[in-house]
Formats: sequence, C-alpha cells, structure tokens
Amino acid sequence: MPRPGFVLEVDRSTPPMLFWHGERFSLERLPADRSRVIYPPEPLEGLRDVEGAISHALENPIDMDPLRALLRPGMVLTICFDDVSLSLPKMRRPDSRQRVIEAVLDLAAEAGVDDVHIIAALGLHRRMHDHELRHVLGDRIVDAFGPIGALYQHDAEDHENLTVVGTTDHGEVLEINRRVAESDLVVYANVNQVAMDGGWKSLVTGVASYRCLSHHHNPESLRNTRSLMDRHHSALHHSIWRLGAVLRDQGPPVFQVETTINTDAFPSPFDFLSKREWEWTARDRATYLATSASLNRLPRRAARKIMHSIEAPYAMTGINAGFTESVHERTLADVYRQHLVEVEGQTDILTMGIPFISPYNPDSIMNPILVMCMGLGYMFNMYRNKPLVREGGVVIMTHPTYRDFNPVHHPSYIDFFDEVLTDTTDPVVMSEKWEKKYAEDEWYRHLYRTGNAYHGVHPFYAWYWGAHGQQWAGRVIIVGGDPSTVRRLGFTPASTMADAFELASDVVGRSPTISHLHVPSVLVADVT
Amino acid sequence: MIKAASRPLAKYGFPWRAPTVPRGVEVPEKPSTLGPDYDTDWARRPSSVLMRAALIAGPIRMLTVALARPEVLGLDRLTDLQRVAEPEPVIFAPDHHSHLDTMVMIRAIPAVWRRDLVVAAAADYFFDRRWKAAFSALALNAIPIDREATGRRSAELFRDLLEEGHSLLIYPEGGRSPDGWGQPFKGGAAYLASRTGTPIIPVHIEGTGAVFGKGMRRPRPGRTRVVFGRPLRAGPDESTRHLNQRLETEVARLAEESVSDSWSAARAAAAGSLPTRTGPAVSGWRRSWLLAERRRAEVSGRSSRPQRSWPDLGQR
Amino acid sequence: MKALQIRRSVRRFGMARLTSPLSPSGAVRVGPVELTDVSEPARPPGPGWHRFETSLAGICGSDLSLIDGHASSYFDDWVSFPFVPGHEVVGRLEDGRRVVLEPVLGHAARGAVPPWPDAAPGDGHDYAHLVTGPLEPGIQTGFCCSTGGGWSPWFWAHESQLHFLPDHMPDERAVLVEPIAGAVHGAVMAANSPTERRNGVIAVLGAGTMGLASIAAVRQQIPDGLIVAGGRYPHQLTLAKEFGADVVTDGGGLARAVRRATGSHRIGAALSGGADVVIDAVGSSESISGAITMARPGGTVVLLGMPAEVSLDLTALWHRQVNLRGCYTYGTELVNGQPVRTFDIAVQLADMIGAERLLSATYPLERHVDALAHAAAAGRRGAVKIAFDLRGAN
Repeated sequence: MPRPGFVLEVDRSTPPMLFWHGERFSLERLPADRSRVIYPPEPLEGLRDVEGAISHALENPIDMDPLRALLRPGMVLTICFDDVSLSLPKMRRPDSRQRVIEAVLDLAAEAGVDDVHIIAALGLHRRMHDHELRHVLGDRIVDAFGPIGALYQHDAEDHENLTVVGTTDHGEVLEINRRVAESDLVVYANVNQVAMDGGWKSLVTGVASYRCLSHHHNPESLRNTRSLMDRHHSALHHSIWRLGAVLRDQGPPVFQVETTINTDAFPSPFDFLSKREWEWTARDRATYLATSASLNRLPRRAARKIMHSIEAPYAMTGINAGFTESVHERTLADVYRQHLVEVEGQTDILTMGIPFISPYNPDSIMNPILVMCMGLGYMFNMYRNKPLVREGGVVIMTHPTYRDFNPVHHPSYIDFFDEVLTDTTDPVVMSEKWEKKYAEDEWYRHLYRTGNAYHGVHPFYAWYWGAHGQQWAGRVIIVGGDPSTVRRLGFTPASTMADAFELASDVVGRSPTISHLHVPSVLVADVT
Repeated sequence: MIKAASRPLAKYGFPWRAPTVPRGVEVPEKPSTLGPDYDTDWARRPSSVLMRAALIAGPIRMLTVALARPEVLGLDRLTDLQRVAEPEPVIFAPDHHSHLDTMVMIRAIPAVWRRDLVVAAAADYFFDRRWKAAFSALALNAIPIDREATGRRSAELFRDLLEEGHSLLIYPEGGRSPDGWGQPFKGGAAYLASRTGTPIIPVHIEGTGAVFGKGMRRPRPGRTRVVFGRPLRAGPDESTRHLNQRLETEVARLAEESVSDSWSAARAAAAGSLPTRTGPAVSGWRRSWLLAERRRAEVSGRSSRPQRSWPDLGQR
Repeated sequence: MKALQIRRSVRRFGMARLTSPLSPSGAVRVGPVELTDVSEPARPPGPGWHRFETSLAGICGSDLSLIDGHASSYFDDWVSFPFVPGHEVVGRLEDGRRVVLEPVLGHAARGAVPPWPDAAPGDGHDYAHLVTGPLEPGIQTGFCCSTGGGWSPWFWAHESQLHFLPDHMPDERAVLVEPIAGAVHGAVMAANSPTERRNGVIAVLGAGTMGLASIAAVRQQIPDGLIVAGGRYPHQLTLAKEFGADVVTDGGGLARAVRRATGSHRIGAALSGGADVVIDAVGSSESISGAITMARPGGTVVLLGMPAEVSLDLTALWHRQVNLRGCYTYGTELVNGQPVRTFDIAVQLADMIGAERLLSATYPLERHVDALAHAAAAGRRGAVKIAFDLRGAN
C-alpha cells in the first residue's frame, strides 16, 4: 500500500535533503526547527489489466456514446495525441498513447473507417524527431501511417490548413487545424502527468495557431493563474475552457481519452531518488555516492546523455474516456489522488532543486530560460489555494544554470537570452516590445515548420510561465548557478546553500521559516 | 597401414569388446527410448539449464545471426504479461517453415520466458537418433511429439510442464510447410490453452522458408523477421475450435502486417479479406508462382534488403 | 638619447614569434624592440621640417604585430631599419605649439609632386614616393629610419604632417586622433559605398580602439544606420554602447545579432542576408570569414584591422559577391560632395566622444616591457589604448 505524502518538520537528526542540481544532485542540510520538507505520496499501484481498462473505457465512455457507436464507414476520423513534452522522463515503451491509439484503430478498422489521420498536437513545441515519434506511438503506427502521409505533426504556421471555428464572448478567436475542425470525430489520446494538462487544453492549445494561443499565453493571464495546477483558479484555464466551449458547440465531436500515470519515474539504479532519505539502505547510499561521484566527474554533455536516456517505469493509474469536460474532472481526481499533499500555512522561503529536464527540453539542454520556467513556472505552481512561500518571500533553487543552448531545438531562446533579457526581464514589457518580432521572424518560422525548433515565440511563453512566481517572490536565488547568467535572469547567484540563506536574510530576516519541495516525483501542495 | 596398427588390439577380446551371444540364447529387446518415448527430464536439471543458456548465448546466437539475422517486432504487445513480479507461462504459436524457426524463436522470445521454454519438436525428426535427441533436448529443451497422433501422453506432459511454470513453443501447423505456403492449424495448441487458461501468443515468422525451407539442402543466408502478436486468451465459453480459428486469423494478420502495415492488416482482418495463409486452392506451378509473388512482397528472406526511406513526417 | 628601436634581426623576430603565444612580456624581451641610446636623427633635406617633441605616443596594433613577429613580409621593402616606432603621436614644436601628427610621409615631405594641390599625405594612387626620394623608405613616421619616431623624446616631422590642436584639447584626447582618423576613413568608406542604404545595418567586428572608434565614426557619418557591434570584453561592450552602437553583443553572438537586425535566415554558418556594410576591426582569419558571411550578398566588408597572413575560404566571398575593401590610413575624404581632411573630422570626433576615455594607461619608455605586454593583453586586462608618456623626458 503506497504511503501518502506528508510534511516533515526538520530536526537535528534529520539527514541532509536530496536536491536536484541539473544533471547532478547534492545533499543540503536545512536549518533545524524552522524548516519543513514536503514529501510526495509514493507511487500508486497501476492498473492490473491495462488492455482491459482501455477497452472498457472506450466501450463505456462518460457522457458520450461508446466509441464503437460513433464510428461508421466513410467518416473522417482524426486522432490527436500529446507530444514529447509528456511524460517526463519519457515512458518506457509502449507508451500509453500508443496503447490507446492502437485500441482506437482496432475499433476503427472493425467499423470500416478508411479516412484516418493521426496528428501530433504539439502547439508551438518543436516537431518530434522520427525516433521520438516511434517512442510515443510505436513502430506499427508510424510504419502504417507515416509513409502514406496520414501521420504528421500540427503546424501552427500553416495558414492554409488552419481555420477559425468561432469566437468566445471575450473575443477570443478559436483558430485550429483545419483537418481537426472538419473531422466527423476527433479522438484525443493524452497523458495527464500533472493537473495542468488535459481537458480542453489538449486540443485548444495542441492544434491551435499562434493567434489563438496568444489569447491565454500572455503575462496578464499567467500572472492571474493561481495556480497552473488548479484549473479552477487559473486565468489561463478559464480562457481555454471558454475556447473549449466554442469547440464543443461549433466544432467537431471530440472523444477525449485521458490517461493518468503514477510517479514511478526512476528505474534502478536511480530509484533511490524517489526514496525518503532516512530510508536509504546501504545499497542506496552506495549508489548515491557512486552515481553522484561519477556524474560530477563526467563532462556535462555525457552526464546529460545519461540522464536523458532514463526511461521511467510508470504505471497507468487511470483511464477515462468520453466527453472532455466530464472526463477531465475524473482525470483530475485521479491526478490529485497521486499528487496532493496537505500543507499548513506558508513559509518565508521555498527551496527546490531544479532537475535536468523540463517539458521543453526532452532530450535536449536545460537552458537558463528553462531553468526560470521550471523553477518559477512549474515547481512554484505546484500548489492549490496559495503558494508555499508567502508573498515577498524568497525562492531558492539549485541548478548550475550554465549558458548553454541547443541550437537545433531552441534557436530563438539564444536570441531571447542575448537580446530580450539584456533589455528587460519584465514579462509585460517584453510582450509589448519584443514578442511580435520573435513570433514573426521568418527564420524561426522556417525552423519550426521544417526543422525541430520550438516556435520563435516560445521562449516568451516559457518566461511568462514564471510570471506569477516572479511577481510573488521578493527574491530568487540560484545556488551553484553561473553568476552572470543568473543575474541576466534577474535572479541572485549564490555559491552554497548557506550563502543563499545569508542572502535571503536581507529580505526575510535572520530566522526565516523554510519549505522544501522534495523532488523528484511530483506533488501538489494543498496549502491551507 | 591402419590395419597393421590395429592388429595388436585384435588379441584383446571380451570384456574389451562386446560379448558374442551364445547359440540358443535369446536377448530380450529393450523398449525404445527414442522418438516419442525419449525421456527429456534430464534436460531440465539445473546443470543442463546452465549449459543450455551458454549454448543459446553462444553458438546458437552466432548461427542464427549468421544465417537469419532476425528482426524482432511486436514485443511491446507482451509488456503487460512481462512486467509483473512473476510472469505467468505462455504458449508461443508461430507458423512453421524451417528448422531454423526454433533457433530464431529461442533468440526472439523475451528472457523472462526463454529460460523455462520448452519446445514441442517432431519426434520422428528430432528424436530419431540418440545424438540428435540429446542435442534437441539439451540445446532447444525440446520435447518429442508424435505428429501422427497427438498422444494423450504428450498432452498431459505439456499440461504438467505449464503447471511447473514452463512456457511452450508449439507449431500449430504440426510441421514445416512442404511448399512454402502455410498449412491449416491443428488444434493442439488451442486445446492446451483453453484447457489450462494459458495465454497463447500468435507469432509470425517470415523469411526462414526462403533461408532454409523444407527440401533445401543447404541454407542460403538472408534476413528474417519475427512478429509477435497480442496474447489471446480463451473466452469463458469459447470452444477450442474457435480459439484455434482466432489464432490462425491472428497469425495471418501478423503476416499481412509484416508485408504491408498494421493499419492495412487491421482493416483487412476486420473486413475478412486477409490474404490466404495456406495459398490458393490451385495446384502445381501456379502455387509456387504465386508464392514467389508473395515472397517478393516480404522484406525478409533476401540477403540484401532495399533501403526504405521515410518521408518527412511533418509534411503533408 | 634613449629611445625604443626596432632592428632587422631574423633571429629576434623569430624568437618573438615563438614566445608571443606563451608570454607577451617575454616576447617583448626577446623580440626586435629594445631601449637603446640612439643617435639623434639628422635634419632631413628640404624645407618644412620641424623638431617634434613627443608628449604621448600610442601603441598601435600594427606596432604590436611587428614586435611579436607577426607582421607580413610585404612591408619588408617599404620600411627602413633600424627605426624608432610610434606614429600615434601628440607633442609640441619648438615654438611651443601643440600638434598631433598625421604620420604618413607623403609627397610634400619627400619633395615629390603631389597628385593635386592641397593633397593630404595619404592621398594618391601611386605609392612610389614612399620608397623613393631623399628619405629612406618608410610608409609613415615610425617606420622610417630617416625621421625618427614617436617612441623617443623627439623626431623630425614635416609641416605637411602637422595638425595644430585647439588649446582646450588635452594630450590624452589628442593621442587618439590618429586611430580615430583611421576609423573615420573606414566610416566614410562605408557611407560612400554603393551598398550602404539609408537606415542600413552596419556591423562592427571587434571593440578595441579601432572598433570603438569605428562605432563612433559610423554613428557620425551614417546617423540613421543601425549599428550592431560585437566585442569580447564587458568594458568594450559598455563603451560600444556609449559610442552609439544600437546592439552590442559578445563576439560569438554577432552573427546572430546581425541576423536579428536584418531578419534574415541563418544557413549553416552564413546568413541568408546580412549587414550592408561590415567593418572588420580585428583582421584575423576568423573575423574576416565571419565578416564575409554576415555581409549581405552584394554588401561590403571594410577591412580596417591589419590582417597580415590569414587563411580564408573565399567561396562565400565569391558566392555572395561581397566587396572586400582594404582601409588604410586617411587623407582627404569626400563628405557630402565636399573634400575634408580626415584629421579635421577626427579632431572634431575625438572632442565629441571624449576620446580620452579610451586611454587606459600610460608608461614611461623605461617600462616599455610592461607597457607593450599591457597593450598586447589590453582587452583581457580591461584596457583599450596604452601609450608612452614622454612629457618628462624633454
């Protein structure tokens, strides 16, 4: 029986805590008697019969006819799926999306549906490499649909193949992939790793145009997104749900299949990462010492290669299918069942280790902008009700924050770092002054459409993701980060955790209270 | 010369040599221990298991790679059965074209089942000589089956083996294809599966017939391919005959998947228009003519395979 | 008198060349330059020669390349050994008037017929006068054994080389007039080049003295142009911004910055479009090939830094139909159709930007090893221009 998450009050006999430090990790001691560590719940048990659960979900959907009944010969069927930004780390093959889509295809074959397209709903993310598509979908789907051109990746800049479905009462225009809009049925196969994903967000962001995304991917919305993990208090999600209602009323019928996974993210020998420090066995400690010693000695490139090659042995904890809104409520319940930890009150300081990966650098480099996005965007937002740190408090992260970019995946990030961040770190200013130039740059457009680059505007979105955290925190300190790079992000560099607490004392006094978000493994703090 | 050298030995008689039988005495004939009666228990003792593992990892692997270069597909369909603490035994049911099939299968089957795999082998071929029987039992963990009459004895033996946790490799066609086309499935494997509730895994082996088919005197090295299908379980009220039919269809679908793609195969299977496994109902040259056509469609079998170039998936 | 002198010594040039990558100061010690007692130069024949008493004498990149043995053999027959280097000189005449030297030893100084009346020393389309006539060969003061040079208490200067300074201009500012004049020449060349368009993009590679001066000069000559500048060190970037660069970036980011400014694509290492004019104030293989690939097809590369021997793949030059223009010294410029002496513009510009900001340190001649080592590592040590201060020596 997996144990629920809990809050540990740090005392003098608490061992040092594990912190991510990019591709490496470190152990940091937190001050006794005023620190607490929020531990995630242990991974839930997976479904025993995944095959059966999938076919059960397709046969008994929520608020919708069974998929079998929706399929008929001669119809236009489009299957969309989440891109490689989910899951993190990547799932061991076969991926949930492959299993769902194969089951859907079997039903479609039985029903005699001939016109099937499979579209990667990647929004403004980079196009997946062939091996990534194969990892997500499996060889059979790629071999069957790739050569005939029925498997492709959404292109938000292909204006001939985008169409306006309708407009919300807030004036937001829903402009999405033409094939999706003109289908007789759209099936969406998702992986709901965190509460931010899924629901209308799948389609409304995944197959939308830049114009459509900019209605909610902007500093205004993201500053009022409290938090990303709580869709009912997120301006971003409100806008998306309004657009979703347009899709529901004026678009094609959508059969949403949402799968949730547990938090079993690290296979052996990295499984000690998910354990509580005082439960480390002799073997775990030896593994920690050996891996951290070797990772510290390896060149960064090699360490990165090792970490990105990790394939997580996730188990599927739930699958829900049917009408998007109803399905998503159940999915959220499944996700929260895994992630939620009750926490009482806020503290002056929030500490977190930033890992080697974020949703925007699978198999790639965690560049400085993504460090900001991961820290203030994702991990800061791992809360419900109110943030773990009080307003004006200090956020301390650990990450090497090297000035290193992947030129294939993140070309516009390099320019964003050189040009925009030297000018401003204020999301509002940058959105007014710079965003358009990046969004319309022909070279970025070319690389996004034909290469494997994120859209030119994507670094802005990554930055906006942290807008709420940036506004909330009185100071952000990065331990072990390259000083000039950290300063350009608008943060304060510190060489050790002790220095960081010293620097924080200017803002929060001499004996501040501290919360530590214990990752790996994901949690959402329900702060009361 | 040799004769001269061996002359001194001539003076050694019994007990250095076999005794001669006195006149009037009748030596009772020992019961046969070859063929279907060969006892293979010794081949499942720990020392034999160890030796077999070494044989499989060494010579068998080398031989298989040299002759057949197998490409294994569809293993992801078995993950649910594999990723549990103690995987249950299963029955692998491939189609059968060549003696190479068993070696190729042993390499292709995931390690969790490979260690305890038992192969049903034709008693009249693999167990007709003592050395062949010993080799089959040791290297392949083969069990002799009498293909003339599926004896009660072998059925019981298999059931015992399944209960002991051994997985089985059974060729439901009963023997290698005589002309390259498939043969109808006999019900043995399905019967066993439905009696014991064991999952049965349809497998299609492509290319071994071209590499070393029945009647070929020496193998012609080339490529082969093994496609695993989704495990089948007998339904609550499903007859053996129906399960056998599903199995056969599934193998036909895998064969089609291998030459075209999974989506076309699924549609053809759903529409009941899968190409025949057993060949057209014509005889003589037309059968082999059509077989050549089919083999041209296969990617395996040939020693050089044309490069497939994938179109850019992002373009429409 | 004590002065720095360079003698022709194959051994010493070779030693300097070998030592310079390891230690700049070591290269100075073993190299061809030495502080010795030189005999006072005889007054050159002809009228108009003045005794020029040095106040400040700058150390230029071309001086350094001579001292560390990297200068091209091209100049072997255009200079006369042993000479006293130093051509960025400010000083005073015997009558006390303060002057800055335009170092080219032109027609007037050598008694040759100028190409046209009022020609500046640098004007003309035949360099024959630089090696013929009554003086020994020498392209400039500081490379000629007949006149002496700036790195000594005094030398001979011809009146055609003299520019009188306004009283308010300190020596520290005036010593930069010569390099600024060089940059102005480049900027005018850029402004007059057929490829420069209004509101065009001008990229400046390198932010040493010449790069920074170029930025200021381009800002003056092409007020509406967008200047993108790349330098390696933070203090250079700050100055570049102050001198009028619109975009500054560390060296590696220059091509990206030009791409952003011009909205072009980047194809491999090259840009699809690029800057209308690129001013290369570095002169290395990397900088020149970088400059060619970031100039727009049909654009111009102005080669301001002295390149010496470089190895280049000219495919890009050929394919992009780029004009690669050398840019040496100064003379008479055509600004808005009017002939103007480059030095007059430079004196003005030096005042305008407060050029003394570029003078980072001065040394007496006795500390020439430190001075030259400092100059060789100027960027890394947070400096721009290093000069000798001889005001006490006279």
